[in-house]
Amino acid sequence: MSIDWSVVIEYKDFFIRGFITTIELTIVGIGFGLLIGLILGLMQISGKAYLKIPARIYVDLFRGTPLLLQVLAIHFAVIPTICEEILQITPPSALFSGFVALSLNAGAYISEIFRGGIESIEKGQMEAARSLGMNYAQAMRLVILPQAFKRMLPPLGNEFIALLKDSSLVTVIAVNDITYAAFTTAKSTFERMGPYITAAVMYLIITLILSRVVFYLEKHFTPQTRKK
Amino acid sequence: MIQVKDLKKSYGEHQVLKGITTEIHEREVVCVIGPSGSGKSTFLRCLNLLEEVTSGKVIINGFDLTDPKTDINQVRTNVGMVFQQFELFPHKRVIENITLAPIHVRKVSQEQAEKKALQLLQKVGLEEKAQAYPEELSGGQKQRVAIARALAMEPKVMLFDEPTSALDPEMVGEVLAVMKELAQEGMTMVVVTHEMGFAREVADRVFFIDEGLILEEGTPEQVFTSPKHERTQVFLSKVL
Repeated sequence: MSIDWSVVIEYKDFFIRGFITTIELTIVGIGFGLLIGLILGLMQISGKAYLKIPARIYVDLFRGTPLLLQVLAIHFAVIPTICEEILQITPPSALFSGFVALSLNAGAYISEIFRGGIESIEKGQMEAARSLGMNYAQAMRLVILPQAFKRMLPPLGNEFIALLKDSSLVTVIAVNDITYAAFTTAKSTFERMGPYITAAVMYLIITLILSRVVFYLEKHFTPQTRKK
Repeated sequence: MIQVKDLKKSYGEHQVLKGITTEIHEREVVCVIGPSGSGKSTFLRCLNLLEEVTSGKVIINGFDLTDPKTDINQVRTNVGMVFQQFELFPHKRVIENITLAPIHVRKVSQEQAEKKALQLLQKVGLEEKAQAYPEELSGGQKQRVAIARALAMEPKVMLFDEPTSALDPEMVGEVLAVMKELAQEGMTMVVVTHEMGFAREVADRVFFIDEGLILEEGTPEQVFTSPKHERTQVFLSKVL
């Protein structure tokens, strides 16, 4: 078996664009996922039913249905409906749908990581902070979250890598990511191995970089004495 | 300074405090003793509203804690609390543990807060540990830092919730020494403790709490030497 790499070179712009798009999807997913996750996580631990229940429903909905279905539904049903029937505008690109689907989905998983991380901090820490006169927000920001964040990093790292790989699902709505580039190149050139190996290597490069970043952050957020 | 009127606290069906009424005066040191599960820690925690009060009143410095209009954060800055498990902030250095609340709550400048923190560390004998992390300290040192952290807010009252119960025996003395010094300086203190020697020596008054009520109160002399209530007698015969 010989692999013809010339098609990959021939379609290199396609792959480069895919590479960039996959990174964009991952970064947007992580960014908005963290934001949505933090809000939902805080809603869940608030102890107030009117915050807790909607957050719980959201999390169950997005964790309990396949991401592939979410991507399809958001692109072909939810966004067109909102744009055409409510806002009366042309729906934005498939890439936008991809951003929305990945962020909403990541938010559900990340909220569970936030909730778990915050709940893992001993109750006494909050009491100590409050007894010093800090309000709830100050105690969260200065005492609880910095400690919780350190414990959240390993599961967050896993989530980021999962998000990167799951971003390949947007291929089904024809977003030109890495997987789409490989699939389309292979289909139109009848060259089977080269495009898929190239795609795999691209994903591996990003995953390895991502896991190094998370590893570095974990070290960075550990106090000096524990680094020895 | 502290007035408690018919304080009741329940967890669901279970009533922990069954109506406590008392008054604690300025510069007074009150030690609270009693069997475990008697409600003495709950009583202490009600004094800065770490426990929600079911009914009754807690008035500190004229502020009614049970009034929803009272700014509880404001009141808490005047009430220092020391916990059994220290509860230092593990991600902050010793000095940052002490300066955190003054800087963010009292809005003191960092420079001023650090100066004050070093003075307090000196007072508790731990100046050289300013840059250490809590995990590098022994239990006794952690508790002394916790006391310094509470004092940094310049409280009018200090509450101690079994401050030596989690310590190895050889470290109890150093913490009690700091507390004693504080008492001699005239700090108003409420101390839940199992250290009967400390209560006897330092307290102005001793409360014996059992089953959610103050069953007996008086000077250490009265309570320890001639307890009136039978349950106090039984308790003291077990611990002394």
